[in-house]
Order: sequence, then structure tokens, then C-alpha cells
Amino acid sequence: MKAILMLEDGKIFTGESLGKEGERIGEVILNTAVVGYQEMMTDPANVGKILVLTYPLIGNYGVAPKFNESKRVWLAGLVIKEKSRTYSNWQAKMSLDNFMKEQNLVAISQVDTRTLTVHLRQKGQMLGIISTYTNSPKELLSKMEGFRKENSVSKLSEISVKKTVRLIKGKAKYKIAVLDLGITQSIIRQLETLKFSLALLPYNTKAQDILKLKPDGLIISNGPEQDKGLEDVVSNVKNLINRLPILGIATGHQVLARALGAKIIKMKLGHRGVNYPVQNPACYKGEITVQNHSYVVDQDSLSKVKGIKITGYNLNDRTIGLALAP
Amino acid sequence: MTDPGLANVTYIEPLTVEMVTKIIAKERPDAILPTLGGQTGLNLAFFLMRKGILRKYGVESIGASVEAISCAEDRELFKKAMQEIGVDVPKSGIATSVEEGMKIGLGIGFPLILRPAYCLGGSGGSISYNKEELEKFLFKGLEASPVHQVLVEQSVLGWKEIEFEVMRDCADNVIMITSMENVDPMGVHTGDSIVVAPAQTLTAEEYTNFVNLSKKIIRRIGISGGGANIQFAQNPDNGHIVIIEVNPRLSRSSALASKATGFPIARVATKLAVGLTLPEVMNQITGKTTSFFEPTVDYCVFKICRFTFEKFPKAERILNTSMKAVGEAMSIGRNFKEALQKGIRSIEISRFGFGADGKDKITDEMLKHPENGLMKLIKDKIRIPNDERLFYIRYGLKAGLSTNEIYKLSHIDPWFIDNMKELIETEDKVKKFRNDKEEDEIKINADLLTLAKKEGFSDRQLAFLLNSKEKKVRELRKKHNIKAVYKLVDTCAGEFNTRQPYFYSTYETSEEARPSKNKKVVILGGGPNRIGQGIEFDYCCCHAAYALKEEGIESIMVNCNPETVSTDYDTSDRLYFEPLTLEDIFNIIEVEKPIGVIVQFGGQTPLNLAVSLRNAGINILGTSAENIDIAEDRERFKQMIHKLNLLQPENGTAFTFQEAKEVAKRIGYPVLVRPSYVLGGRAMEIVYDESTLERFIKEAAEVSGEHPVLIDKFLEDAIEVDVDMIGDGQNFIIGGIMEHIEEAGIHSGDSAMALPTFTLSEKILSQIREASYKTAKELNVTGLMNMQYAVKDEKVYVLEVNPRASRTIPFVSKAIGVPLAKLATKIMLGKKLKDLGLTQEIVPKHVSVKESVFPFNRFPGVDVILGPEMKSTGEVMGIDSDFGRAYIKSQIAAGQNLPKKGNVFISVRDKDKRTIVFLAKKIKDLGFHIYATFGTAQALEKSGIAVKVLPKLAEGRPNILDLMKDGKIQLVINTPSGRIPRQDEVKIRSQVILYNIPYTTTISGAQATINGIEMLAKKELGVKSLQEYHKKLKTQNSKLKTKR
Repeated sequence: MKAILMLEDGKIFTGESLGKEGERIGEVILNTAVVGYQEMMTDPANVGKILVLTYPLIGNYGVAPKFNESKRVWLAGLVIKEKSRTYSNWQAKMSLDNFMKEQNLVAISQVDTRTLTVHLRQKGQMLGIISTYTNSPKELLSKMEGFRKENSVSKLSEISVKKTVRLIKGKAKYKIAVLDLGITQSIIRQLETLKFSLALLPYNTKAQDILKLKPDGLIISNGPEQDKGLEDVVSNVKNLINRLPILGIATGHQVLARALGAKIIKMKLGHRGVNYPVQNPACYKGEITVQNHSYVVDQDSLSKVKGIKITGYNLNDRTIGLALAP
Repeated sequence: MTDPGLANVTYIEPLTVEMVTKIIAKERPDAILPTLGGQTGLNLAFFLMRKGILRKYGVESIGASVEAISCAEDRELFKKAMQEIGVDVPKSGIATSVEEGMKIGLGIGFPLILRPAYCLGGSGGSISYNKEELEKFLFKGLEASPVHQVLVEQSVLGWKEIEFEVMRDCADNVIMITSMENVDPMGVHTGDSIVVAPAQTLTAEEYTNFVNLSKKIIRRIGISGGGANIQFAQNPDNGHIVIIEVNPRLSRSSALASKATGFPIARVATKLAVGLTLPEVMNQITGKTTSFFEPTVDYCVFKICRFTFEKFPKAERILNTSMKAVGEAMSIGRNFKEALQKGIRSIEISRFGFGADGKDKITDEMLKHPENGLMKLIKDKIRIPNDERLFYIRYGLKAGLSTNEIYKLSHIDPWFIDNMKELIETEDKVKKFRNDKEEDEIKINADLLTLAKKEGFSDRQLAFLLNSKEKKVRELRKKHNIKAVYKLVDTCAGEFNTRQPYFYSTYETSEEARPSKNKKVVILGGGPNRIGQGIEFDYCCCHAAYALKEEGIESIMVNCNPETVSTDYDTSDRLYFEPLTLEDIFNIIEVEKPIGVIVQFGGQTPLNLAVSLRNAGINILGTSAENIDIAEDRERFKQMIHKLNLLQPENGTAFTFQEAKEVAKRIGYPVLVRPSYVLGGRAMEIVYDESTLERFIKEAAEVSGEHPVLIDKFLEDAIEVDVDMIGDGQNFIIGGIMEHIEEAGIHSGDSAMALPTFTLSEKILSQIREASYKTAKELNVTGLMNMQYAVKDEKVYVLEVNPRASRTIPFVSKAIGVPLAKLATKIMLGKKLKDLGLTQEIVPKHVSVKESVFPFNRFPGVDVILGPEMKSTGEVMGIDSDFGRAYIKSQIAAGQNLPKKGNVFISVRDKDKRTIVFLAKKIKDLGFHIYATFGTAQALEKSGIAVKVLPKLAEGRPNILDLMKDGKIQLVINTPSGRIPRQDEVKIRSQVILYNIPYTTTISGAQATINGIEMLAKKELGVKSLQEYHKKLKTQNSKLKTKR
């Protein structure tokens, strides 16, 4: 079945419908990683987005539950070039097709994703709509307009743990509290290898309740960037500044910056992929990092915060990759 | 790389410890960079370290420290290092003797892989399935290894083969350039395998695992300013990963990875080697980010190899761990299917995609109900790796084998097989629209046509499937507006706006080529390396690009060979990584609209397209297509020779044996027979009698199809001469006259040659010059031309005229210090020789010798004799002040380890027995002992030369084979006795290769060798840079000018 993707600026891409039939609206984002489609689809940070994968061959190694980053797919839609007819990997449990159907995901394939990518790079990120119903541009445009005006609702309550979840494996060195804004399984796995015992806390856990746990440190996790509920999280975190060591990851990093009084700004095109260099300005050493964000901490506003040291810049565009607070 | 413009000082000297030591002593460098010259460079550095040379002269090995090289190359150290960091290696042991190897092997269990240490391209590597094979291969492997070590290893046959290109700088930043997955699983040398980039069947978790392992490995090996290629094997059933090897240097795979991603690995590696860090090196492609990132792609890259089994009919047509490919092509598509079809088109094996082009050996009809015999053949060809396996997978699928069955046979991942199956399904869909009559209108709908193009089907394939003409398919496509668009290779999958115009074609919705309005010229490259067409032509194409740049004209390069400099994105202004077929070239020309196309430089590949391009109204720069045709067309050529009053060996053409017989009778035996329109002397042979002629005509007719067989009088014992010329349409200048060292009958690509000539009289030389000028004038040569002559009985015969750059252009250019290809390009753009400052032939005082390099050690059992069919895969150059030394340098460079003392074995045919006497005397005088076979010994003893007689192989021992095995023979002179050589000779000659004993199979080669050994005994070899030679040439020339 035919499907189309229409962007807010009127540009139309045609393709074949995949997964569930239907119509979905969301901000169109790009990810340049070659592998990891299942992980990206199930990353809560991508909630409500229409994800475009720039790598043209998708579904090659199928899907397996162990690769889920969370309990479900959060995307509004998926846009790809070619969906592999077959899949091949010893771990695969089902095809990408069946996974999309099972997860009610509306997707579109056979799209010239290269042209779409170049278009978004030039024009900046914008809304898009995938539809298998109609291709009347006017109708679709007005739907996007309606979506924009609509008051969005916070997804944090859906994404975050409902109550505290304790994860202890073996003998732990440190007790770490994690404010769950949409943490992914792979980050949890990495934290576990550091011999942390983790307490995953609901996103709205009050500051004093966090302090009551007497953790060695707090991690504010990754999650959706533009969520309405983040406002409250920021004011809550303000009460924790200087009370315990805090690490913010991605959105958590933005929350922390805002709690410190800095601003965040939206980039024309987000950083989404697995190949972003972050370098310490004090030396030549850096790391290649996985990134997935559209907002960055505004450097001017951050420099006004006392005692801040920027410990990592994204080398591609000199945006802030890491910052250290006292 | 030996182009004098590329470095401040360039040495063309043999790559031996001895010679490099001399260069180090002379130049006193601070460091050597051994990681860019392949295994040869790495081995050299290692031995220079071992011998204490580096320490003595205070030279640092950069790029990879000597410790890093040892850690990666020494099997035992490597194994230990990997175990230390918890990386699994296949079970293995190191054997330094056959007995030891047997013990290790039987302990691990069959099948086993044997890898000799420090060997290039896996030579001597093998797989053994039983005790007998193990013993045999151990013996061979120990011999092949310069340090007499063989790794006996658990076989991981059929496992996935995954490679990573990794770089690390001195600040410990590590990046992955790309992953690669071998379509042919473990068991086939990666240099022979079909490879895709990036890996297609790895999960994100597996990918991350490989990345983490790669980081650990490069850190442990200790590369801290360069790159490495890491090869893994992964069990497809449970994901278990073992490491196979690490190349602590740039490799063939690095070149591929560079071209596949747009990341210039060699450039960056060099900067890292001198101490820069990745964040300090800019990414030229994006122009605004640094090299500290990991390239990501939005296309699929496919590499496929070019083999030359047809040249070695006695060799087994199978692939294993010893590399046999002579070249490769890379293709890029938006999916695997498109890349696969483009790749097959690119390797120029007269195929136009994944079958369906009218050239399939097995027809669809036969495959509908395949007989048992056919089915067995297909299954065998799928099971045992070989160069035709792809096509047999196609036959297998058509004959009803399932994806899983083919996987079970081949262990090729089902993902790849299913993609091939999709192509067959599309083929079947297209076939439904087949025309009854060729002239009918094509009925296929636009949607299906688009799908076929997106899957890489060529117009030629579609024409075959639809029973129509290529041209008609093209017209129909245009009508539906289905045309190729060009996408950028940009290192970042479109994330950044990049400025390097490096393109590949695909069938998508938008064009990214954005051609300029400038004046521009398209240069057609040479395609994959093969026997008869190698990097010599790439040198010419690069020089064409440099010349265009100097003239302010935009250069547009089209080529598909990832091993070349022409496909570096900064060699030309714009690069199209595309197959060199008419369809693909037309597409580019339509987008770019150049003022002309250069076809002279890429060898036969573009020249074959010249007439079709001209007929399509495309301007061919330089010598006209019309005049190219005169030189290529036998009859027209004959008329021209006649008109110019030149001599040509008597000749004729024949379509049947009857005709051939008559021609041969008329001109007299021996005759040289060959099919028309072939390159590299394919199926060419010297025939001495009628019965051989009959058998041969059959063979030749098969090669050339509807074209006639050419028959020439063979001038026995003639001296062959090659002349390279340059002309501007009015004036013509000889670049160089080269005298072949081997006598006529040996393909010019295989014989050694010297510039200037060394035996020809002034009279003969002036005849050659006159004939060359006349011909060039007649053909109105605008650019380059090559002529071949035979000199016999004081007469000069014209053998061949090639109005294009020849294989010898780089050799001549370096010998005379004039970049002929560059000048020729400027001439094609309208400049005159006078404007370019080239006014006379330069005959240098120093001597340059070109020698060919042969792949015989890759084809066990193949006889090493030379003939009219070209067999060499490369060449070397030796330069010195006299012929003897220059020749010796060329021999050493070609891997012949010439002795100063010891024993020489001589066995020559009757014809050579008189000449050998004189040589044998000289050999004796030099202090060598002579061993000979009975016949040769008799001849020598008659002249009073004492020799030891050896029995025939079957008649007693120790025979010559035993002596060679025991290292008692230092040089072998063995001329073949006839067309079908005696069994003994073949055994001797193949053993020569096995033990790497210097040998010569021609009397003239023997003379030059002995001459050189004599020189060597008198004085050691010295070193001198190309720039020094050229400087001297300049003074020599200006003196000449003032004299006049």
C-alpha cells in the first residue's frame, strides 16, 4: 500500500506503507547510525517523533526482545529507505515488520531518505505527517497546523517508573539514585558494570525524598527533551544543587543546566547518531559518543553560572558536550 | 608513488635491507614510515630493526613502532597479547618443523589452517583436511616463510568474516573508519572475497562488541599514530568471536575503506605518524569538521575481485586462503542489489550484471528441469569457493535450491542470498514483458522499469530480458524520466553540507551533482587491475588530471578501481566512482556536458568504447577515433604499412582451419596465431606445425567469437623493440626506444626491457626512428602512441601500433625525466610540443631496466615459461649507470636473490647449446660450479668446461630436485624444449618457484643475469635518487643543445 510523508513546509515524499496503517504527526528527526533501529525505536527519548534512518537498509538482522531499550516503541512514525525482506542473525526472534505491527507503529519505506535528509539539513527540523489515508496536501497541512496548536501533554508519567525500582547486582561500590526521565536499558547496563547499586526513581520524586535515600550520587537520566513535565523536574532539582553530586545525561544534563540557571536552545538539526566527537578543551583526548538530542545548553547563559567548567565540546560544531558543576 | 613530483627525493631501488640501509646512510632520515607500503614495507622495517640498522643510524620507525609490528606479526607474541586482554584466538600452535606442525595439528583436529609467518597476501597459506595434506602444506609453508615459521590453526571455515579499519593517535583517541563484512565467509582470503561495507548482518550489540574489541586490540598492539586493519571471525550460530589477525599498517582493505567512506586513511595516518592528533587534522570532505569522528554512510559498498584463471589453465580454479586475485573493483549503490550488479559490471568480465545478460553459461531452459549432472556441478560450484560462485548461486536459485540450501552449501549469509533471489524475481517480472520480435515497442511499465533500475539492472540486461536493444531501453527510460542521479560520498550520511564532489549513481529523486558551467574534460580510467592492464594506466590518468588542473580546465575522473590514485577524491576536480560501461559513461556525460573525453590513457577499457562514444556524438580528445580504428583494424593497418613503405611480418587472417592452413603454408612456419580484439595476448601462441595449428584455431576461435583468427609469420630469434612517442599532430618526438632483453615471441608486457637500447646499431635505430615518425604523422597522432618492432637480419618489422598510452609510459617518463602523459594531455587541449619545451628525443646516459613480476607462486604446478600470452601482474624498475647493474637491480627488485657464488644448474634446448658454451665459461670464471643435464653437459664438456652431470628425475638420485631442496643450487638456467615441455622441465621450474631460487628461462635473460653477477662481483651496488638522475639529464641536454 502507498503511503506518504509530508513535511510542514509542504514537501512530499512518497513510499510504501509499513507496519500499521494510519496517520501520525510528529517532529521529523534524523539518525545517521547504521545499526540500532530497534534500540532507537524503543528509546523513550524519541517519544512522539517521526524518526528517519539515513542508512538505507533496515531490518537486516531482525528484532529480539533483548535489544529493547524500554518496554515499547515510543515513536510516532518511522521513515526508511529499504526494509529488508528477510532477516538474518542468530539472535533474531522476529522480523521488523511483525515487530512494527505488534507495536502498532505507522511507518513508511521506499522513501528517498537521502533527499529528505538534505532537505531537513537545509531547512531545519520540522513537523511531518505520515499517512496511508489521504494524499491531499491541504488536508494534511491543516492537520499539522492543528497539531502545532494543540496543547501537548507530558509523557513522563507514562515513560518513567511508577515506583522506586532497586537494581542491585553483586557487591556494589556506590549507591546511586537515578531520576528516571526515560532511561534506556543500555545505560542501566553500563551503570551496572561500574558496580553501582541503582534506585530508579519516578520522575516526580521530591527532592527531600531523594535526599532521604542518602545516595552517594544522583543521575538525572536521558528522556524526551521537550516534555512539558520537565518544568517541574527542573524546579525540583534546584533543591538538590550542592546537596549531593549530580550527573545529568542528555535531557538530564539539560535539566541540570536549567536548574543551575542556564538556558537551553534548539539546534537547527539535532545531533543523532553514534559518531559524535566530544573533546576535553584542556587536552587532545576525546571520545566518540552516541548522541540523541535537538537542544543544547546555551554557552552564554552557562558561562554566567558560577564555578562551571566545560569539560567537553562537540568537536563538529563546538556545542557543549559535557559540563562539570562544583 | 615513484613519480618524482610526489616527494622531495625519490629512490627507485630494490626494496631490500641492503639497499635501504644505503639510502638511510646517505639521507640520514629521522624516521621511516613503513606502514603505507603494505607487507613489504613492514617486513623491511622489521628486518632493519633486527639488524640494528635503525639503532645505528638513529632512525625511528613511525606509524607503527617496531614493538607494535612484532606484536601483530609474531604469531606467538600476538596470541599471548590477545589472551592477555581477553580476546579469543583460534586454537593454534607455531611450528618450525614439519614434525612439530604434525603434532600441533593432530592435537587441534581437522580441518586446519596453515599460515606462514611474514608472508605477503597469505602466500603459502592453505587448508588441510587430513594428515597427508597437513604434511605437504607444512613443508610448503615453512619454505614460504622468510623466518621458517608456520601457524597451525583451528579452522573457522564458514564463520562470518568481519573486518574493522581502526585508527589511533598519540593522545589515545581511537576511531572506527568502517566495518566490512565478507560475503565469502572464512576460508577465502579477504583479498579474494566479495566484501560489503558496512557490515550488513550485525546487530547493534554485536557491532558495539566489535568496536570495543577493536579498541582494546589497537591499544594492546600499541599503534599510537596510525591505522590498523583487524580481522575477526564470528560463529554464525552463537555469535562467538575470535580474532584472526591484525595488520598494523595500511592494507588493501584500508584503501577500500577510504574509498568506501571518503575518509582519507593514508593521509590522516601519515599526519598521525608525525605526531598530530585526530582533532588537529581537518576533514577535507566536510571542510569544517575534524578527522576525529567516525564516518557513517547512507549507501552500500560492494567489492569484487578480478581473477585471471584463464591465463593459467593448469591451475585449479578454486579460492582459498592464498590470494589469487589480481585486481578489484568497488561499486556503490543505495542497496546491496544495486551495488552487486554495478560491481559485476565493473570488473569487466564481459558481464553486465548478475546474469540475465545473454552470457550465462547455463540457460534458464536447462535450469527448469536440471539433470543430475548439472545439479551436482551447480552444488559443487556453490560449495567450493571459486571465482564464478556468484553466478552459480544464481543458477542454483533458478534450479530451485532454497536460500537455506545454498547457505548450507556455501555458508554465505542468507541475507545476501535472499537479496540475490530478489534480483531473480525482478528478472522474471521483467521477462513477462518480453517482445516477440526485437523491433517491437517495449511494453514494460514505468513502475517495474524503475524498480529494475533501482535494483541495478543495466539497460543491456533489460534489453536482453525484453528482447530489445540497449538503445531502445535507454530511450524508453528517458521517456518515463527514469534516469540516474548522482549522490555524494560525504562521510556523514548527509548531516553536513560537504564540498568534495565525489559521486556515485543511483536511481533516486534528486540530483546532487550540480555540475559547474566551467570548461571540463572527462578522463576515463582503466577499471580493475588485471594482467595486461594495471596501475601504469592509472598513472597516466592521474597525470591527465594534473595537466587539466594546470590548464585551468575542470577534470572529471570516471573509474571503479579502489586501489588507484585516480579514485582519490582530490586527484581530479570531480570523481565519479562508476563502472566503465557505455551506459554509465553516457549518464555522466549527460549530466556534466564536458568539452571532450580522454580515452587514450586508461588502457584498452576506454579505447574499446571510443568508437561508440564518437558515434554518439561525443568529442574524443587527441588522436581521432578514425585513426585509432586504422591502427586497430587489421586490414586498414596493413594498407597503411604498405603505403608508408614499411615492413610487417607476413600475415593473413582465417575463419576456419582450412583457411589458416593455407595462410600458414604461404607464409611458412613458425607462425604466431591469435584471436583479434584481445588484450594481453590472450590465447596467443607460436605454432610450428599443422597439427598444433588445428588444435589452436579451435581455441582461438572460442576466444574471439565472430572475429577472425590472425596469423603472422613468427620471426624467430628477432630482437623486439618498443617505442613510445608523443605527437601534437604536426610534430612528433620519441619518448624512448626500449630494447627487449628476451627475444621475440615473449609478450612485451612480460619481457624485460632496457632504455636506452644496448645492442642495436645506429643504422637500425635510425630506421626505427624513421618508421616511427612516418607512422605517427600518418595517424596524425595527437597525444601518445606506442609501436612495437621486431629486428631480424638487419631488417626492421612493424609488429603493432597502439595510438594510446602504453604500459611503458610511466617507465619511460621516469627514465627520461619528462612526464609524457601530462604533456600529452596538454597537447590534446591544443598545446604544441614546442610550447611545452619538448623539442628533441632524450637518450639518457644512465640505463633503466624494466622487469616483470609474475604471480607463479600463487598457482602451484603452473609452468613458469614465458610466451606470447602475457602473465605478469606487475613490474619493477632498475636504474644505474650501466646496463649490467641496472639489470641486476631490476632482478633483485623482482625478488630474484642473485648469488655471488655457489652452484648453477644449466639445462638448455638443443638450439641454445652453442650460445650457452660462452656463458658457461663466464660462469666458471666467476667461480661458480656448474650442474647440468646429460645433453647440456655433453655440449659443455666438448668445449672443455667441467660440469657435474645430474641424472634425469626418474633415473637416479640425488637429482636436481633434491639439490634444490637442500639449498645447493643458487641459480637455474633452463630454456624450454618446445611447445609441450618435458615433464622433468616443468617439475624443475615449478620447484624453482617453491624454493625461491633465481631462474631464467631464456638465453638472453641468462646473458643479462651473468653479466650482472659479474658487475656485482666487481663493485657493490650504489643508490641514487631519481631527482639526481634527472638533474644530470638536464645538464646533458643543455650541453647537447649548445653543441648544435
